[in-house]
Amino acid sequence: MVSKHELTRIDEWLWEVPMGFRADMRVPARVYADEAILDAALLDRSVEQLINTACLPGVVRFVLAMPDIHQGYGPPIGGVAAMSTTDGVISPGAVGYDINCGVRLLRSNLEASQIRPRLGEIMDVLNNGLPSGVGRGGDVRLSEKDMDRVLELGAQWAVAMGYGEPEDVDKTEERGAMPMASAGAVSSRARKRGTDQLGTLGAGNHFVEIGEVSELYDERAAESLGLYPGQVVVWIHSGSRGLGHQVCTDYVQSLQASVYRYGIHLPDRELVCAPVDSPEGKSYMAAMACAANYAWANRQLLTHRVRELLRQVLAAQFPHAAFSLVYDIAHNIAKLEEHQVGKNRVRVVVHRKGATRSLGPGDARLPASYRQIGQPVLVPGDMGTGSYLLLGTNEAAERSFSSSCHGAGRVMSRSAATRARRGQEVQRTLAEKGIEIRGPWKGLAEEAPEAYKDIDRVVDVVHKAGLARKVCRLVPLGVLKG
Amino acid sequence: MIPTYHELEHRADMSLRVFGDDLRALFANAARAMFEQLADLSMANPSTRRDIDVGGIDLESLLVNWLNELLYLHEVQREVYSRFVVTELTIRHMRAAVYGQPVTQAHLLIKAATFHGLHIEKDCQGYGTTIVFDV
Repeated sequence: MVSKHELTRIDEWLWEVPMGFRADMRVPARVYADEAILDAALLDRSVEQLINTACLPGVVRFVLAMPDIHQGYGPPIGGVAAMSTTDGVISPGAVGYDINCGVRLLRSNLEASQIRPRLGEIMDVLNNGLPSGVGRGGDVRLSEKDMDRVLELGAQWAVAMGYGEPEDVDKTEERGAMPMASAGAVSSRARKRGTDQLGTLGAGNHFVEIGEVSELYDERAAESLGLYPGQVVVWIHSGSRGLGHQVCTDYVQSLQASVYRYGIHLPDRELVCAPVDSPEGKSYMAAMACAANYAWANRQLLTHRVRELLRQVLAAQFPHAAFSLVYDIAHNIAKLEEHQVGKNRVRVVVHRKGATRSLGPGDARLPASYRQIGQPVLVPGDMGTGSYLLLGTNEAAERSFSSSCHGAGRVMSRSAATRARRGQEVQRTLAEKGIEIRGPWKGLAEEAPEAYKDIDRVVDVVHKAGLARKVCRLVPLGVLKG
Repeated sequence: MIPTYHELEHRADMSLRVFGDDLRALFANAARAMFEQLADLSMANPSTRRDIDVGGIDLESLLVNWLNELLYLHEVQREVYSRFVVTELTIRHMRAAVYGQPVTQAHLLIKAATFHGLHIEKDCQGYGTTIVFDV
């Protein structure tokens, strides 16, 4: 375990484990946190996991943890690590099993006061109409040919098939399809798991949430995003389902032998990796991109279904109800990017595990409508508290490889949460606060608000450290847990 | 009966400490422990048998492969397994027969068994290991 006195405080929001702390570290390990967040992180193995990540070959500058840091496997959740494409590695374990687990936010033309009286009914319609839960299949069964298209074209395939609007693609990171995807890199087992899971929510912390914009911190930016106080919004949080889990499983296993071949010494076998430029590294990158594309297609199909269900239930009262995509971001992914390392611009693979991209204004990768303001950074909180929309900053390029936090981060294990309160009780307490929740009882207990860190605190660190800036806070009205 | 596993605290995922008198028992107990997190097996009445044949580069990778193979079958066959008979086990290869039954909805989604901190240890009591699962 790492002790606090072994960390150097770089500024109010940044702490560093220096390179000499462990002989196998190749770069320092940095944590964005306030004092309380850091103290909590030091209680488990998350900082040690970050130090392990700092030992990977070709890692540049520093490895980072965002303030939603908590213990995972391999790197901590909230971890960011950039590896040089010339002498660095790509690691499936540093991306995780739910490849391109991510979140999207839709804005509506409705006010919370208009739908509040019917919230219970709306949540029941979503609960009955959206495939969710463990191993649950959906309405779409992909042929082999369609699977290839999903893997290579992602959300673009979904929109071309009528599951959404062309503007949805513009408002999705990577336009919903990573170009290096190659369907041949995905095993038949992964394909089999993905055949009937497109358009399904999954389980665990995946959710659909009806929310309300509650507070603005930057009115002009909010206006550019089409957001205003009292407005109804919809969050969708899901990933690449069984297909992505299998892609990671396949490569974590097959690369176990590769590390010996390449003479790579690992502090943790879950950080298994291969040189970015090796056949194994390229193959994983191609397969990971496919799984990421599957996840974008999945969130697109979920969006389509959510729109259908909401329009249906609201048709009589609000015949013109509309739900437009604000943005969609990935928070478990590895991406080829260019960053400043010393005096040089260097091509790196940025691994973000429970962390998001945070591009500042002017970046050509942003849709034209957001190029002036920066990338929306979506930070969902727990189901009883609140969430944030932030905007990426140019300072984040230097400070965090253009990365920000992805959520609140857990403070309580799932079993501790289940022991503390029953799902029925969580539902009742939230209903007293006016929040309607639906989902399996065990899942509701595991996801109780007290199992998570204080989102306001986490976002404050990100904002004050300049990794992203606050635009608005949103609160939940109804949540469907997978 | 001495419990064959217990759960350890883990903030985000699931960590199980598993024991076995010998390696075959350790592998079978690990599988049983995993499926006990997915479903109530107390009234299990297996109706199907699946034969498993997996390899690995060492015992730890074999254990991870074994558990992930079972998770794969659980998902695509929509079955839970409650009885595990390891018929052959070497450092790099194993065969087993597993017995299970259909399941409509499991309690928990386990994405994978991981290598995180994984070591199979032997002492005078037998074998033990701690497995972290992504849930």
